[in-house]
Amino acid sequence: MDEMHYAPTVRLCRRRFLHIAAAAASSLGLAACSSNPTPAPGPTTSAGAATAPGSSTPVVIGVAISTTGSNGDTGTYQQQGYQLWEEAVNAKGGLLGRPVKFLFYDDQSDPTTSSRLYEKLITQDSVDLVLGPYASNVTAAVAQVTERYHYPMIAVGAAATEIWQKGYKYVFGLASTTDLQYSTLIRDVIGPLKYSTVALIYEDSLFPISEINGAREYLKKLETKVVLDEKYPPKATDLSSVLTHVRDANPDVVLGGTYTPDSELIVRQAKELNVNPKLYAFTVGPGDPNFVANLGADADWITSPSIWEPVINTPGNAEFVQRYESRFNRSIDYHVATGYSGGMVLDAAVKEAGSLDRDKVRDALANIRLQTVLPGEYRVDQTGAQIGHVMMSIQIQNGKRVVVAPKNLATGTVMAPTPPWNER
Amino acid sequence: MTLVQVIINGVLLGGVYALFAAGLNMIVGVMRVINLAHGELMMLGAYTTFMLFSLAHVNPLLSIPASAALMLILGMALQRLMVERVVRQPLLSSLLLTFGLSTLFLGVALNVWTGDQRSVSYLSGSLSVGGLQISVVRMVAFAVAVALTGATFLFLRCSTFGKTIRATAQHPDAAQACGIDVTRVRMVTFGIGSALAAAAGSLVSMMFTFNPEIGQAFLPKAFAVIVLGGLGSFVGALLGALVLGVSETVAGYFSSGQRAESVAFVILIVMLMIRPAGLFGTNE
Repeated sequence: MDEMHYAPTVRLCRRRFLHIAAAAASSLGLAACSSNPTPAPGPTTSAGAATAPGSSTPVVIGVAISTTGSNGDTGTYQQQGYQLWEEAVNAKGGLLGRPVKFLFYDDQSDPTTSSRLYEKLITQDSVDLVLGPYASNVTAAVAQVTERYHYPMIAVGAAATEIWQKGYKYVFGLASTTDLQYSTLIRDVIGPLKYSTVALIYEDSLFPISEINGAREYLKKLETKVVLDEKYPPKATDLSSVLTHVRDANPDVVLGGTYTPDSELIVRQAKELNVNPKLYAFTVGPGDPNFVANLGADADWITSPSIWEPVINTPGNAEFVQRYESRFNRSIDYHVATGYSGGMVLDAAVKEAGSLDRDKVRDALANIRLQTVLPGEYRVDQTGAQIGHVMMSIQIQNGKRVVVAPKNLATGTVMAPTPPWNER
Repeated sequence: MTLVQVIINGVLLGGVYALFAAGLNMIVGVMRVINLAHGELMMLGAYTTFMLFSLAHVNPLLSIPASAALMLILGMALQRLMVERVVRQPLLSSLLLTFGLSTLFLGVALNVWTGDQRSVSYLSGSLSVGGLQISVVRMVAFAVAVALTGATFLFLRCSTFGKTIRATAQHPDAAQACGIDVTRVRMVTFGIGSALAAAAGSLVSMMFTFNPEIGQAFLPKAFAVIVLGGLGSFVGALLGALVLGVSETVAGYFSSGQRAESVAFVILIVMLMIRPAGLFGTNE
């Protein structure tokens, strides 16, 4: 609802502003304003000129994000994170003394639509800055556009490792890439438990494969033996054969590269077939707010990597969670936190740059380190990929998500081994 | 022993495929309309059960009549208002219409229920029978599916209205000449077909985690079942569904889950090549 409200107002103001700006430019002979449609590479800063006219001229941040289509729910949460940051930054006096205003479009979860909309945001709406869309496939398409126009982009909703292997200079990661998903869980949970055999079962698609490829590397360091390595097709309706293989291999740990439906199918059928590893871990699934509702008590004991949790004690986290839940009247999930943190990083980078000059902001994004509400810190490597963010591990205990690793963020300890199904 | 286990799982899965395909098969048989929205009717059935369960704590099995009744009405309305207009028209018209309906239902469902993954937590676990683990929910779903498929079969065989449906399927003009109101027959058939899809959806909501896109995953399997069993043949579809279920799980056990999923399509292609009428296609 809010985004529908946002877009037209901003667009109207924008248009009026452009009229006024054009009139002013022609009468005063000013060459440029902040809404210079062509990118200005090099040191010529249009931002200085823009700050001068008045501190009430908003800094416009353009975003196309999925509020409908298959990612409509999660995209909306990320957008709500942006909106919450917008309110927070404006309450503190804005960016460089100017209010912040978002210009949102809906990309309908479609990469082609999204890259077209970013092109429009940059060339027609002449936004000052952009923030990233939702989902890796969309971000991968958009990155080509933002890179071409030299717009620095914090890829808030993307985790695919490949995005940072293309030599982009203007794309910055915010959360750990897919190959790092299992880093903490393997090192800090499986390691100390000294489990020696693992079955890897994962969906045959881009993300799960990348997650499991990363996991294999971490497992090597522990000298854990992989006793089963099996893919299954997307949208599988029966995993009994995969789980029969697991039962035959009898591993200590079942490590899944999953989405929500297959992770829940694995749990159901593992119970049916009496598959009893000492530990279950899934990537996507246990973090889904519906996971416990969908599985009931069978959700207990399951572990998962996590990007962010509402209970951790990062600075301002508790207040952020509370503000979100009273503002949007629903329980929060990590997509809101990444959206909000993306805003915080942009805020810090603009302050560091001291202007809206996009090349300076880009340099700031490449070099700054800061603490957001996410665990760890914001810090990127040479390629722009995130390396400061710390993955956590959670375990579902009595229907609640408990942070079990790393130690400094933990709210509980891991419960293991998981009892066999017939003793639960 | 493990192989027996895998075969049992396949049979149980096949029961639900049979129920879902039966509705589609009836509609194809009677009006030669390939209903591409059949998966979405199933999805709506799944959401009916989910909503009744999560909001009013209605037992999922007891909600099956409700979801079937709702889709019976919706199906009859759709048929009378839209599908009837494309009956006996070029195949493309009905494909376009039902494809449009499918997209419409999917879009509406995504708006109403979002893409969130849902499920009905009911009857988890298994029965241990002589060393075999038999999923309780899948066993119940199988029983319900076979009962409903059987009831529909008897209805078509024995009741007067069932006979008019079969007459219309065999020769609409002759049926009309004999005084059968074929328009009404087609409407009711579409309604029953939709109700069967909805019942399958209700069962699916207990077995799987789903979102509005679930129908898209099931529709291709229903086509494979129908081609295998024979267009318009009820018994054929039931057997076809069981063969599909078993071959999927057995292929998955001997090779990998990836290959299992292609089994449906291999069967489809092979059947089309060697016996286009299906196993039982000539009977009806």
